[in-house]
Amino acid sequence: MQTTHPGPSREPISLSFPRIIPRPKSEYGIWSWISTVDHKRIGTLYAVTSFFWFLVGGIEALLMRVQLSQADSTLIDPEMFNQLFTMHGTTMVFLVVMPLSAAFFNWLVPLQIGARDVAFPRLNALSFWIFLFGSLFLNFSWLIGDAPNGGWFGYAPNSHVAFNPTNGMNFWVIGLNILGVASIAAGLNFIVTILNMRAPGMSLTKMPVFTWMTFVTSVLIVLALPVLTVALIQLQVDRLYGTHFYNTAAGGDPVLWQHVFWLFGHPEVYILILPAMGIVSEILPVFSRKPLFGYSFLVFAGVAIGFMGWFVWSHHMFTVGLGPAANSAFAISTMAIAIPTGIKIFNWIGTMWGGSIRFSSAMLFAISFIAMFTIGGLSGVMHAAVPSDAQQQDTYFVVAHFHYVLFGGAIMAIFGGIYFWWPKATGYMLSEKLGVINWLIMLIGFNLQFAPQHWLGLDGMPRRIFTYAENMGWENTNMIASAGGFLMAFSVLLFMINVVYSARKRVPAGDDPWDGRTLEWSISSPPPHYNFEKIPNVEHRDDFWFTKHPELIAEYYHDEHSGELTAPSGAQFDEDAAEEEDEHADAHAEEHHGDDEHGHGGIHLPDMSYYPIILAAGLTIVGAGLMTAIPVIIIGTIVLLWGLLGWSFEPVNDPVPDSH
Amino acid sequence: MAAATGTYEIKSEHGEVINTSTGLSNKKLLMWSFLGSDVMFFGSFIATYLVYRNRSLVGPYPADILDIPITSVSTFVLLMSSLAMVLALSYIQQGRQKMGTFWIFSVVVLGAIFLLFQVYEFNHFGQVGLTPRTNLFGTTFFILTGLHGAHVTLGVLWLIFLGFGSIKGSLRADNAIDLEIAGLYWHFVDIVWIVIFTVIYLISARDVGPPG
Amino acid sequence: MQNWLTSSKLTKLALPVLALAATLFIAACSPEHPQSTFGYAGPVARDQGNLFILIFWIAVAVFIIVEGGIIYIAFRYRRRDDKIPKQVHGNTKLEITWTVIPSLVVAAIAVPTIIGIWEQQRGAPTDMGDVLEVEAIGHRWWFEFRYPNQEIVTANELHVPTGRPVNVKLSSQDVIHSFWVPKLAGKVDMVPLNDNLVWFIADEPGIYDGQCAEFCGIAHAHMRFRVIAHEEDGFQEWVAGMRTPPEPFEAGSAEAQGELLFATNCKTCHTNDSWRQDAYSLEIQQQESRWNTWLDDIENSRLVSAPNLTHYSQRNFLGAGIKENSRENLIKWITDPDSIKIGTAMQAHAAAYQEREDNKINLSNQEVENIADYLLALEPGDISQLVAPAITGGTPEERGEQLFISIGCNACHSLDADTTIVGPSLIGIAGRAGTRTSLSADEYLRQSINDPGAFIVDGFTNAMVVPKIPPNQVDDLIAYITTLE
Repeated sequence: MQTTHPGPSREPISLSFPRIIPRPKSEYGIWSWISTVDHKRIGTLYAVTSFFWFLVGGIEALLMRVQLSQADSTLIDPEMFNQLFTMHGTTMVFLVVMPLSAAFFNWLVPLQIGARDVAFPRLNALSFWIFLFGSLFLNFSWLIGDAPNGGWFGYAPNSHVAFNPTNGMNFWVIGLNILGVASIAAGLNFIVTILNMRAPGMSLTKMPVFTWMTFVTSVLIVLALPVLTVALIQLQVDRLYGTHFYNTAAGGDPVLWQHVFWLFGHPEVYILILPAMGIVSEILPVFSRKPLFGYSFLVFAGVAIGFMGWFVWSHHMFTVGLGPAANSAFAISTMAIAIPTGIKIFNWIGTMWGGSIRFSSAMLFAISFIAMFTIGGLSGVMHAAVPSDAQQQDTYFVVAHFHYVLFGGAIMAIFGGIYFWWPKATGYMLSEKLGVINWLIMLIGFNLQFAPQHWLGLDGMPRRIFTYAENMGWENTNMIASAGGFLMAFSVLLFMINVVYSARKRVPAGDDPWDGRTLEWSISSPPPHYNFEKIPNVEHRDDFWFTKHPELIAEYYHDEHSGELTAPSGAQFDEDAAEEEDEHADAHAEEHHGDDEHGHGGIHLPDMSYYPIILAAGLTIVGAGLMTAIPVIIIGTIVLLWGLLGWSFEPVNDPVPDSH
Repeated sequence: MAAATGTYEIKSEHGEVINTSTGLSNKKLLMWSFLGSDVMFFGSFIATYLVYRNRSLVGPYPADILDIPITSVSTFVLLMSSLAMVLALSYIQQGRQKMGTFWIFSVVVLGAIFLLFQVYEFNHFGQVGLTPRTNLFGTTFFILTGLHGAHVTLGVLWLIFLGFGSIKGSLRADNAIDLEIAGLYWHFVDIVWIVIFTVIYLISARDVGPPG
Repeated sequence: MQNWLTSSKLTKLALPVLALAATLFIAACSPEHPQSTFGYAGPVARDQGNLFILIFWIAVAVFIIVEGGIIYIAFRYRRRDDKIPKQVHGNTKLEITWTVIPSLVVAAIAVPTIIGIWEQQRGAPTDMGDVLEVEAIGHRWWFEFRYPNQEIVTANELHVPTGRPVNVKLSSQDVIHSFWVPKLAGKVDMVPLNDNLVWFIADEPGIYDGQCAEFCGIAHAHMRFRVIAHEEDGFQEWVAGMRTPPEPFEAGSAEAQGELLFATNCKTCHTNDSWRQDAYSLEIQQQESRWNTWLDDIENSRLVSAPNLTHYSQRNFLGAGIKENSRENLIKWITDPDSIKIGTAMQAHAAAYQEREDNKINLSNQEVENIADYLLALEPGDISQLVAPAITGGTPEERGEQLFISIGCNACHSLDADTTIVGPSLIGIAGRAGTRTSLSADEYLRQSINDPGAFIVDGFTNAMVVPKIPPNQVDDLIAYITTLE
């Protein structure tokens, strides 16, 4: 279907909505941030907000480590402990790793695919504001001393009102539902952006792997989050309105909750780790000065993981009693997922092989990612062995496993990504010296904390216990783990010191400090508002690298497929598609020749808008109203409608009288 | 103008939209992706309903209470609204504004009739003793059909909005895409109802309590 | 600079290894590891552990290859000059290799995994000895254990014989709990409305620590239990003891006063007389009705499900396995349960705790001590020192029947041909007894009553205790027993 949108030359629209507040224009100051629709600014907002929650979640973790460092400790009371581990898990999953990844999506995807913004900039702003308000809503529960206490997995019926009558789990269900809206909106936005907004010539097979992984992650978000939404709605109506989804007295089945939750929960694991894999796949080639090894296998493995991630959820339920047939099937599917994961690890190592490796702090984090993620993967295979998993399930062995995946994996990669793209985003360098120390201490602290926890689990220490008896033999090991935790905290402090120190020193980065390979390094640091003065025409994977080194093109295309593909034509995969893309490219090129040659006079970017934040506020107020009183719901609905209608009647760009 | 979502496309100097990488408009791709998401949403609720078939500990059970003829009528009404939707889009695309407007409001009316049937049904069930708090059937039935009803309501409001746009002339052949994506949504909600009708009213119409 | 960094890569690998070695060393020095999954005390835990060890060594091999590879490559290909390395695209043969090899490794792990699943998840095998059937019910925050064939209910301490498979049917009354005795078997969850099975064999007598492994609320950490494995004789003795009433307390003693206080303050929730006729089915009914009463009105219910306290003095621990069962701890427990284990239903609901501001028990210290003394005096009485009550009137068979019940023969000898409680069922004994030995049926029974060890039926051990019965009453008893058809 060919789209024939009206241009700005259309007649004025006669249907209108009163503008209570004028359209924002300021490019500086706080209001410019509140009304921004620029993907880079939104990326920064995501990053700052989620880093704040990272600190909060970290403090929650440290409090638990302090409590557990001694047997029979009474420092933190059991209720508080339950709230701490519930909120630590919820925070780190939904308020840290997901939005930190979203920060990278926002900053990088348009830059990597040669676009000027995401497909729906106001929707993008809406995602952020909903995320911000949802996260504040969830954490507001701390202030009234009633934080969620039923675990981040909220197992029914322990989370049911008969056994958990306080307000904490209400904050949890409603807060996560608000956050779910943000995630789904962002996921939809990035699917469309990546499919539709690629620069001419950038076929899917030429996309940077980070963008690929963003795409797979977005698809997973869009398909998995609704399942969580359903689970949460079911629990919410049970808790607030007395329905029976998980009321065992009326026949509600606790196992159903687990199925629904983990049907979301396992794809969620890949939502957390795939962006990290994408980040590492960008860092390794740059600092090895080599193309990514086995690009198509890496991408395919990522897609395969995203697909297979839907068929392994019951491995979270091996002790629930699903029966030997189901457990055997899920054991096999879980073990099978190790194969594409292994392919990724071997290809990353293959990328380093034969390279010219520079140990920048970003590279050190990326290498540690492979090393730590491998450990987490190996312990993951151990869990797939159902009989031995019966001893490990719900013990500290599992805690160690998923921290190796999510901290040693995701967070390490994210720190690598921060060191890698910081110069691009800010225009100045982070101190490499501090970066290396930061990396070293984080790696030591991390292993000191989590390696011993494998042993704790094997020694029979269950998860989620606020204390343990002295004769269990767990005390010394716990003490070591706690010390490691503080070392990790210190490394995060070093990172913050680095940020402040480097911001003062302001060592200019230049456009391409690392000899980068992808499009984002071809523009200035920080990138201009409109990103690309001219939309680039892409011919190769790592297009910017081959622009810098045209003499390497033949070598690159030589060795695979026994020299069959020697020409860098776009015809590598789908002839028709490539031709079509070429046509687009031509059309596009023509358009831009028509633009004035200097500056960006022909670039239209969407205007700023207040409506995303208004709509987000309305949604959150409605959420709060569900827990409190109907008038609050009404107020929220009014705010929400105001945002929605205002948005609908607000053109993307106000007519600019003197434009042309 | 934009409908409920903000849009942004790379535009040339004269406002023509540059072709997207896939050739599909951004809005349409967004709607398709959203519908994929919504499939998981309804799928999970329908799965929950199926898991809880025959597991209510007390009545009324589906066999006691479901009225298939009445619901068949409302189902037919909703199906006809999809037909009206097709006509509306066709007329708007052809630039036949008045016919387009007529059919858009026909969709609105048919959707509203469907909702009235639902209100009647909920009300009736409440009187004969089935509420969301009665048993598992009540819980799963009301929440599933209620959320579907909410989707229909949203669609009706959206189409009223577009219908007025059509009257005022802001919805025209050149931006019929706005109606087209509303249509995608409407057809989807319609199809979901076919599934719900099949699962609840046809497959489980004779369900009673747990065996034994 | 680069050398220093390169050597730090070594540190990177060395650290986890060192940390693990250090913890293993420290762990080895600690005195006890009651929940170590490597302290196998039975075949199930051993199989699970062996599977883990197998995968562990495979993982070690992969670990060494991958991490060694990373360190080697990082060192070997560190940047030495500004030359651009060869721009390698990929290598299909290599890709196939590192797809196929891991697939084979994974397949090798899958085979024992699936064999293990089918061995362990279908209930106890019948070819490894006479299976003891037990039911374990999870409560917030304690474990109830039922022996349906022995008609015994107890709590938090599961007594089992060694060398025989124990088949535990798992269920839960409230939220999800998990039954886990690491040295005997991996955990299986106790899910409301979804009964599960776990089985194990204890090779050696001993006390094995168990703990709830599924987060179940505020006192999750304090929801522990013990499995106490006896030699077969010891187990039968325990079973017989649980079916034997305690001796009566001297009037006016502390215990007797405690008994009275217990009856008025505790007994609506805590049963402690499981030896009684039909006590088993009654206890199950009562536990159910206490639960329903609580659920109907969670705020105000004065009834809650509570542990059975029959022969409480035999318990090693109190508060679901968290404190030694001493007089001091017991007094503290009765006075203020939450000071030992937070969130007890007893303190939240029992009437005795509702009248004081601080929610402590509304009894004097003396009264609490009396209850403690009473509980700590509850143990199976020595029946052999008792004299059978004189019974007059009626036919010999009728007198015999009365005696049979009053001295508790029916506690162990079922009157249903298909049920074995402790001793053999006595239905049809008249026909069988005469054929066992050269003695007549009457004489066989007389000798068995006067000297329980005289004849032991195959498959049973001698756990029978008999009070002193005058010869004429023995005749009545025999007259009754021989009528059982």
